[in-house]
Amino acid sequence: MILGFALTAAVLFGCGAYLLLKRDLVRVVAGIMLISQCAMVTIIGSSLSRGRAAIGVQPADHVSDPLPQALALTALVIGLATVALLLALVHRVVTVFRTTERDELAAGEAQHEAELEPQRRADRAETVDEPEEQPPGTARVGASTGEEAP
Amino acid sequence: MTLSVALLLPWVTGAVVAALDGRRRAVGWFAVAVLTATLALLAVLTAQVLTGGSRDVLTGRWPAGVGIVLHADVLGVTFAALSVLVLLAATAHEVLAGVRERVFPGLVLLLAGGLTGLFLTGDVFNFYVFFELAMTASYALTTYGGGPRQLRAAMVFAAVNLLGSFIFLISVAGTYRVTGVLAMHQVAERMPGVDPNAAILVATGFFIAFSVKLGLFPFHFWLPTVYAGARPAVAAILSGAVANIGAYGLLRFGPGMFPGQLRLAATALVVLGAVSLVYGAVLAVARGDVAESLAYSAIGQVGYVLVALGVGGPVGLTAAVLYSIVNALNKTLLFLAVEIRGVLVAGAFAVGALSVAGVPPAAGFVGKLEMFRAGIVVGSASLVVLLVVGSALSLVYMFQIYQGRFWRADPSAEGPASMLSLRLLTAAVALLVLATGLWPEPLLSVSGRAAEALTVGAPG
Repeated sequence: MILGFALTAAVLFGCGAYLLLKRDLVRVVAGIMLISQCAMVTIIGSSLSRGRAAIGVQPADHVSDPLPQALALTALVIGLATVALLLALVHRVVTVFRTTERDELAAGEAQHEAELEPQRRADRAETVDEPEEQPPGTARVGASTGEEAP
Repeated sequence: MTLSVALLLPWVTGAVVAALDGRRRAVGWFAVAVLTATLALLAVLTAQVLTGGSRDVLTGRWPAGVGIVLHADVLGVTFAALSVLVLLAATAHEVLAGVRERVFPGLVLLLAGGLTGLFLTGDVFNFYVFFELAMTASYALTTYGGGPRQLRAAMVFAAVNLLGSFIFLISVAGTYRVTGVLAMHQVAERMPGVDPNAAILVATGFFIAFSVKLGLFPFHFWLPTVYAGARPAVAAILSGAVANIGAYGLLRFGPGMFPGQLRLAATALVVLGAVSLVYGAVLAVARGDVAESLAYSAIGQVGYVLVALGVGGPVGLTAAVLYSIVNALNKTLLFLAVEIRGVLVAGAFAVGALSVAGVPPAAGFVGKLEMFRAGIVVGSASLVVLLVVGSALSLVYMFQIYQGRFWRADPSAEGPASMLSLRLLTAAVALLVLATGLWPEPLLSVSGRAAEALTVGAPG
């Protein structure tokens, strides 16, 4: 039985991790949901015990361990909240970017990178210009520290 | 009593304030007042813990062994007070500059509630609950500003850190499986008798979860995008308060609950920390963007904490605690100073830069000194050389930023000076960093006591 739970958890985690690496943001959310379910299965599977529910128990009764059930319930609620938040986030991304593809988001990063370029060119120009104003001894030092920011 | 109130105050008011319009000044200042009150309560609690020893509160009047234990020891209250202080500075900064979105004050208060609870709980699963409360608030906070970059940052942050959270949850399930308990001190008691293979697996799960949170080298990939994309006040909160979860978690779960596994992995930890340290510093030198350089610098700085943790023993743990505190203050100061202009700002930034590089008058010097002491105690020359290289690189990138930011006559960098109150706030944070460096005795003794609580007393 525990082996069954372990296998289920492993399959859920594997599928979740696979979906998490996809480009589509909705699939990323689905991947996180599967991984959260994997955690749930792990909690239940980590403490399986036989017995009746721990409600109105008599001293002689065999009860199953109620703690993991409480943990799983709490974790389910938290998982629900985080998935709701993630879906809201994806919704905002869709309204702002008009896409659910991660590549389009990365385009924003490339643009930011391109904006940095004039700054770096200015840095380089400054270190190249400087030797003319400085004595020759220090010029090489200035030039070599400038090279560290390619 | 103080403990429960310090925990409930930001939580309850956060839930109320979240429903109000945070763009109104009164709501913003109310949030600042609540954070100040929480900080005052935590200061009282710290004084009580320092004089009278750690305190436990059983929630809900359950009998011992059934109810969830809240546990305040020196390590916990120090990190709680530090995080609330950082949140206070960042919130005051944002309220002075003008809050742009209605949920900001409420989210900060909920984050404060989550962080306080997480540092003051004595139960592994309860730790997860508060951890998720704090993380959910910070995912929402990362979108603050609402621009494409913030949204992208929030998406990356949430996706990666949720994976970390679930790995943590799976490790909690593993802990329950192998020990049958969830209270931290009982886990620590039963851990030596556990099958070593299972124990190392569970410990690795916790390590990965906290490393993701902290942005250590192999798990750092999300961090630059997020820190550079978020608004400066939010970046200050993420690097100064939320990253504390990782440092605290490594300290609490490492030496506190899995000392055997930590010793086994000590060399690996030192190597990972060293790689993180060099990688962060080199990339910080190479990046042109101020916020991105600071983000890579954050990766480098947490490397020091991991190295200290790997060194272990009273000296190493003291260094780890102290360095985490100093690093949180530095990063808060730098991220807050990065976007404002005018007199005092350059000075404040220089204090932060000196502190990161570890130059004497600033707090960073004390942190670096403890690190060097840890390096010398283990008698490793290569470790000391590595620390020197790391410090030298941080000096290079910090002053590269300083030069580009305050010395260049670039028209785009010029602008009207920011409000005087904003500049005064930044200067106040800078003064705090300076004061900690000039009078380090209290911080040193608190860090020492915290490390002692981890190694000697019943942890958790």
